[in-house]
Amino acid sequence: MAINLKEQESIPVSKVERAAKFISTGAKVGGNYVKHYAKKMVNPSMDKDELHSNNATDIYKSLSELKGSALKVAQMMSMDKNLLPRAYQDKFTMAQYSAPPLSYPLVVKTFQRYFGKPPESIFETFTRSAVNAASIGQVHQATKDGKTFAVKIQYPGVSDSVSSDLKLVRPFALRLLNMNEKELDHYMEEVEERLVEETDYTLEVQRSREISEACAHIPNLKFPTYYDEFSSERVITMDWISGKHIKEWMETNPTQAAKNQIGQALWDFYHHQVHNLKQVHADPHPGNFILQEDATVGIIDFGCVKVIPEDFYQGYFALMKKGMVLEEEAMDRIFYSLDFITDKDSEEGKVYFKGVFKEMISLLGKPFHVDRFDFADNTYFEQIFQLGDRISNDKMFKKSRQARGSKHGLYINRTYFGLYNLLNQLQAEVDTTKPEWLK
Amino acid sequence: MEATPVTKTIKKDLKKLILEGFKNHVLEYGSEPPSIFKFAKMLKMKEEEFYTYFTSFESIKSSIWVSIYKSTLEQIEAQEVYHEYSVREKFLSFLFTWIEELKKNRSYLLSLYEDKSKAFRTLPSDTREFKEKFKEFAGELISEGKETQEIASRPVIADRYDEALWLQVAFVFRYWLDDRSPRFEKTDAAIEKSVNLAFDLMGKSALDSFLDFAKFLYQTK
Repeated sequence: MAINLKEQESIPVSKVERAAKFISTGAKVGGNYVKHYAKKMVNPSMDKDELHSNNATDIYKSLSELKGSALKVAQMMSMDKNLLPRAYQDKFTMAQYSAPPLSYPLVVKTFQRYFGKPPESIFETFTRSAVNAASIGQVHQATKDGKTFAVKIQYPGVSDSVSSDLKLVRPFALRLLNMNEKELDHYMEEVEERLVEETDYTLEVQRSREISEACAHIPNLKFPTYYDEFSSERVITMDWISGKHIKEWMETNPTQAAKNQIGQALWDFYHHQVHNLKQVHADPHPGNFILQEDATVGIIDFGCVKVIPEDFYQGYFALMKKGMVLEEEAMDRIFYSLDFITDKDSEEGKVYFKGVFKEMISLLGKPFHVDRFDFADNTYFEQIFQLGDRISNDKMFKKSRQARGSKHGLYINRTYFGLYNLLNQLQAEVDTTKPEWLK
Repeated sequence: MEATPVTKTIKKDLKKLILEGFKNHVLEYGSEPPSIFKFAKMLKMKEEEFYTYFTSFESIKSSIWVSIYKSTLEQIEAQEVYHEYSVREKFLSFLFTWIEELKKNRSYLLSLYEDKSKAFRTLPSDTREFKEKFKEFAGELISEGKETQEIASRPVIADRYDEALWLQVAFVFRYWLDDRSPRFEKTDAAIEKSVNLAFDLMGKSALDSFLDFAKFLYQTK
């Protein structure tokens, strides 16, 4: 009974209540800033870490109560580590693991609606509480005929609330990501599109199948089988993959060879998707990867798949090419095509932004410039964070009232940051393969 | 309505016939029949015959509410897992099933109660009998909840918990009437969230500990 009491504390129901929730958080965050500056007057040496951690707690609290797309945004922000100050990251990584679960009667009702029977009459066993909570659904474990299944059930009303949730998140994203409004809208569109797709479980099953078949040849990867007869718009049934998340797995002190093997499998997985399939599992957060005893990795959750348009692909990866940095003219062309710079920029601005992007690219492209890269190297990641910090605090950048970078870049960047980050957590050294034309 | 030969063997069906006839009238004309006389005539029965089953339209409407309630209870009782549920889950299960039953009669309910100003007067009287029966059910849930410690027994307020659950039923009904989301998913979410709030409030909370502590300080001073 005690467990049930913990399940799902009050979640604001209507849009108005949700808005109220955000406003109260906004007020708190505002309060934190006031406190911060007050303290700073007394003690000028105080740094912003405390402020960030206060803000992160308040924002996380509000987001986790809202669930759905707001939580998704929190997850995304936690992925883009380069965009977020350190203190936010730790809080938001919590969002990736657990949100309060939904009640069992609602699970029964969902089953009744789509399959005409309660879960107990479909499966031999079915866990009453969720074993895992995702941002827009929760996972139950079921067994039948000696097989174990993972059954993912979507929260009701999530797909309807995507766009209104995003509107609510907007002011926070503005504040947190240090973006101007135009820039944000430019990206929000893309985010909304992905989120709406993510609520379509039928599409997810179809994509999961496609990608797992196309990646079946890659060694040390495992994909679950999906079961149509127990899947619908709101329910997905797949094989249960047992194993550990990266954090727990790392605690078991695996050998360097095992770490490298998993790291390599992940690299190959993304390599194949990006360069050959041109569509990518764009949600590389730790919860979607399950590491097993034999140093193989199970990949679940193909809710967020980004299809990469050909012209974007050419431009984006051409920048990663070694030595590319030297060819001024070709680079300018690509910068234009990816919307990094436009004709609206002043000459001075163009020079400045070109400089910034060159620096960014040479840093992000680093793993591509060598045959084998050691992701355990923390100094590399420090460099990325520092650059991110420096850029977002730069006056020239803040002043720019313009969106920078193609919106497709949002999810591709996220994917690569996510991947780098996973590899860093794994402390893995991998062969950074690349297609012929990038060599 | 086809004319049915009135014989003793189908006596029971007459009650059903009246209920169905009433629903059909509301569905087709958007309102109650103008008078019992006319209604009985439409059903091809004598007015006094009508009175052996119902005394007024109110009693018909009331009986429709009760029959929805009864079939809800039958359905949840039939679920094996229901008996293993916690009280919170039982109440959730009740509401989810009840909404499904309401759905079968949505047009009927909409034409009677969609107009808020009218429903404000008619709803309480139409649902009086349903409310009484529901309160019995709620009473059982609450005493079970007290046993399992899911619900805190507090002086005075604890006696009003059944009333609170009833208010929740009324809230869910109103919400569902206005719900325009596909498959009424918003109502599902509303049920989930409001029930959780209600049970969190009824459960033992920091407030209880605070009152207990305050009492202690006051008494030992």
